[in-house]
Amino acid sequence: MLGFLTARQAGLDDPLRLRRAESTRRVLSLKLNPDRDVDRIHGNGINSLDIEAVEGRYMLSGGADGVIVIYDLENFSGKPQYTCKTVCTVGRSSRHVHKFSVETVQWYPYDTGMFVSSSFDKTMKVWDTETLKPADVFEFEGNVYSHHLSPIARKHSLIAVGTKNPKIQLCDLKSGSRIHVLQGHRAEVLSVRWSPRYEHILATASADSKVKVWDVRRASGSLLTLDQHNGEKSKASSEAVNTAHNGRVNGLCFTGDGLYLLTTGTDDRMRLWNSATGENTLVNYGKVCNESRKRLQFTVSHGCSPEFVFVPCGSSVAVYALHTGELVTMLRGHYNNVDCCEFHPDYQELYSGGKDCNILAWVPVLRASDVEEESNNAIKVGKKVWKRHKEQLCNQITLNNRLIDR
Amino acid sequence: MELPQRDRLSELVEELTTSGQPQLNQDKMKEIKKICKVSNDCIDHVYHSVMSQLNQEHAEIRLSAFQIASELFSRSHHFRTLLVDNFQELLELTVETDSEQPLPPPKEVARKLRSLAIRTVQSWQASYGMAYKKLALGYHFLKQVKKVDFQDAEARTVAERRREEERQRRMERIYKERVEAASIDMEESYPDIEATLTEMETCMRLLLPEFDLTGIHTTDSSPPISQTANDCPPVDEQPCCSKDLKDDGSEGMIEKKEESREENKNDRGEEEGKERSDVEERGDKAWSDGNEREEVKGKEVEDGEENEEDQEASSEEEEEEEEEEEKKHLDEDLFIRNSGLISHSYSLDLNLSPGLHVKETEDNEAVVSTVIDLHKLIKTKHLPAVQGWIQVFTKSGAEEQLLRRALDLKKSLEAALEKHKELHIDYKTRIRRVMKASSDGDEEDDDDEDDFDEVPEKEGYEPHIPEHLRAEYGLDPTPSTSTAPLPKKTPAKRPAAPPPLSSTSSTSSPPSSSRRLKRLTEEEQDPTCAAATLRLLRQNFPPPAEPSSSSGPSSDQKAADAPVVPFGLDLYYWGQEQPNAGKIIKSASQHQFWVHAEVEEEVENKELLAESRSRYISFPGSFTPVSHHCRAPLGNGNLCQRQDRNKCPFHGRIVPRDQEGRPCRQEDRLREEQEERRKREEQPDWRDADLMRDIEAATGEDLGSDRVGKKGKGKKKKYPHLSDLKQSANTSRSRLEKKVFNKSTMRRVADVLSKADSRKHDKFSNQFNYALK
Repeated sequence: MLGFLTARQAGLDDPLRLRRAESTRRVLSLKLNPDRDVDRIHGNGINSLDIEAVEGRYMLSGGADGVIVIYDLENFSGKPQYTCKTVCTVGRSSRHVHKFSVETVQWYPYDTGMFVSSSFDKTMKVWDTETLKPADVFEFEGNVYSHHLSPIARKHSLIAVGTKNPKIQLCDLKSGSRIHVLQGHRAEVLSVRWSPRYEHILATASADSKVKVWDVRRASGSLLTLDQHNGEKSKASSEAVNTAHNGRVNGLCFTGDGLYLLTTGTDDRMRLWNSATGENTLVNYGKVCNESRKRLQFTVSHGCSPEFVFVPCGSSVAVYALHTGELVTMLRGHYNNVDCCEFHPDYQELYSGGKDCNILAWVPVLRASDVEEESNNAIKVGKKVWKRHKEQLCNQITLNNRLIDR
Repeated sequence: MELPQRDRLSELVEELTTSGQPQLNQDKMKEIKKICKVSNDCIDHVYHSVMSQLNQEHAEIRLSAFQIASELFSRSHHFRTLLVDNFQELLELTVETDSEQPLPPPKEVARKLRSLAIRTVQSWQASYGMAYKKLALGYHFLKQVKKVDFQDAEARTVAERRREEERQRRMERIYKERVEAASIDMEESYPDIEATLTEMETCMRLLLPEFDLTGIHTTDSSPPISQTANDCPPVDEQPCCSKDLKDDGSEGMIEKKEESREENKNDRGEEEGKERSDVEERGDKAWSDGNEREEVKGKEVEDGEENEEDQEASSEEEEEEEEEEEKKHLDEDLFIRNSGLISHSYSLDLNLSPGLHVKETEDNEAVVSTVIDLHKLIKTKHLPAVQGWIQVFTKSGAEEQLLRRALDLKKSLEAALEKHKELHIDYKTRIRRVMKASSDGDEEDDDDEDDFDEVPEKEGYEPHIPEHLRAEYGLDPTPSTSTAPLPKKTPAKRPAAPPPLSSTSSTSSPPSSSRRLKRLTEEEQDPTCAAATLRLLRQNFPPPAEPSSSSGPSSDQKAADAPVVPFGLDLYYWGQEQPNAGKIIKSASQHQFWVHAEVEEEVENKELLAESRSRYISFPGSFTPVSHHCRAPLGNGNLCQRQDRNKCPFHGRIVPRDQEGRPCRQEDRLREEQEERRKREEQPDWRDADLMRDIEAATGEDLGSDRVGKKGKGKKKKYPHLSDLKQSANTSRSRLEKKVFNKSTMRRVADVLSKADSRKHDKFSNQFNYALK
């Protein structure tokens, strides 16, 4: 750390270097911190989390009870102990609340005045944050598993929606209507994701074990279908051609630069794909427990030198090195299955929500100073000495008493 | 950390957890703590061993491991961090947070473990919750997600509570259904039961006019007089007594009296008339004393209203007794002439029934049979049904009204039964009577005949009196004794006074033999009676000789001493020469036809002759029980207690042995030692089970150590203190299942069946229905 600082002072290093090194260190020291709590509002499992990109201050959470909560993550109290307070809630008492489990929540990428939520009650609602009323409601024929707004789109404001129907719906916020349908999947679409690099590129994952990459400007078909065997026919039976997993694919995530795509499936595997070519990079992450029948929200770190993947794995969150597939650590803290996790890129904090109704904040541990430890030891030693003195005194007193009695 | 410490820790943890005790051994726990103080490595080691023990599928092990953990938890920060880091697993293993991982058996201990764990978690949360985030999270998880009620004594999770509730609801539903069914049932059969009860009551009233249910219920408070009389039996003023007039000396008469007395409750007048006619039929009966007669009649009826009459009657009776006393002194002939009574002495037979007594007659036959039917109906149908309803109502806590109604029903039914019991209806006679009535139709004096055999009335001498009729004729059963007291039978010797009434009144049996004898003597006075003739005859003729009893008592005694031998030829020809003993016909040729008939000749065989004249009597000698023991030393330190005569089946020939069971003689001792040496050689050292197991573990090859180990004393249990989980599975059913559903057994059975099938197929294959199969 000091070395990095001096190098930075001397101007030897790129500013990015220090930043990367420090953020990597912080990610590696992520711990469940007793100083950081998140209000317990949800009475049921938490399905989705999203931290807004504008300020990095507000976090949305959608629960299985249909409740949507907005938290304030910023600690202005000046004390290390902080409980993330609830800013506002779309509770069960609200007239507009989702009837069933909220599956996905997402902030509008450019403004916290709007967010979008989709639910198993077959609707997707576009909310006004100020009034907490839906500005628009899209209704579908089946349960909505997932939706996504492009984080970088300038030329369009499309929401991709994956429902029980194999057709992917594209809803336009400008017109408030469903303008487009992408056909190609054969089962429900569990996850949809826009590329953070090209605004027209969309990846979708489906229960038919296929992952398709689309260019929404071309309606005729998908650009790519990811193949786990990279087209080697010998390894695949005829049916397994062009499948990404040997099971339902329920998780999708682009890396921060959009060059790679991560998928998880119910075959307990996670795969890393080159998003440009659709090639399986064959990174072996080992077994990634995944029993979810719904969408799994996982995330990738941002701004570290080797990037990390945070993926829910049973009741814990596994941290892998992205390119080597090495399991860095398991973050154990939840008491039931974890469904979603979200990385805060500014503070290198991780928020995870699970079926045990908890949202846990994983905060980097500050490096403890050595001086303090020493002083602690000194105090301890002193105490011991004092104790011994006291005992001796007591003994003497009792002896004296006895003598007096005689 | 040094190796010995490590080993010692593992050992201690294992010992503690496999002790099976509900509490930990404090000494061992102290030792663990002492070792743990040395370094964090030790704590690490303890933590891992405890966790591995917690993973065992045995609730007792888990409980003990959890106890160790909770002891260390409060002592060591390091242990706390370790445990809290893995708190999910701890909860899964002790609180059953994961429904797919239930706590292992035994159930009792598992429940205890869970409640202990929950209590401990709560106390941990109270003292360390601030410092350990995951602990707090776990506590909240238990509290909010698993909805564990920490105040609840049983510490049930919400799922359990729900299950319990569901069960309760189900039970409630079942109960409700049952109650409904029962109430409907009750509604339906209520009139039925009512009708039965009314009928029963009416029948009883018919049998016994004043006898009703209320009478029985109020027995304690205000008993009717007839019943008080029943309750305190033996006084001579007893109303229900009958005079036994010794008119014809037959008990049948008495019985008849009794019967008629009991019967005439319904229609007294009619009965009376009948009685009178009976009397008139027997011309010789001196039933002239109208007063007495009246009195008897009066007493026979057990009605409250006739109470006064009863008392009157009793007083009269007393008077009469006095009269009798006087009469005794009078001359008998004069008495007979004056009074017209056959007997100058009376004896009263008091028939006391312990309660009411209803005898069935032809008149009330129909009523009684109805009563029987009703009784049966109540007992077999109504009462069980009512009891069932009551059970259902009480169990399900149904409406009070229903329950009360059912209880009322039960009470009245039971009262009816009680009343029936008190009536003491005589059913046995009924059956006989029914048969009789069907055979000879209806006769006027039917009641006479049911106790008599139809015999022609005889007067005068009967030289041969059948044995069974002797009593009837006033003769003693055995002629040998009857002949003896003949000279004593003089008029002077007549018995003095009749025994006091109170002494005889205690029984309702037929008159005793002394009475009969007395009556007999009285009868002899009567010249018109057969007995008198007999006496005359006896005086004139010598007693007839009885050949059967002629043999003296001495010969009898001899016969008793003589041995009993099987009958044989020697006995057959006892004291005679046996005609052709020992002779055999010897034929020269065995052929049947080709030989002359004369050729046959007899040959005398000495042996056969001797055989036919002699008799074998085997003399085995007397049995002497064995008094010595084998006394060979047994494995458990005792001496063999077998009592064989010569040879113990386990220890060979029985030889004299000393206190410790060693043979006294030198050669026996040597022999025994030799045998032992031989036995030891059979089981060589290298076949030691432990050694073999070690070798097997090292080499991975099976040397058969299990066989060797098992051959001796069966399988050794690894942890003898833990309760055996397999024991519960070792039921007779499971053992049978193991046998019956054995693969080979199944195959064998299947083979046999298919063979039988195929045979049928072969035999009847030409028949279409077998051929098709």
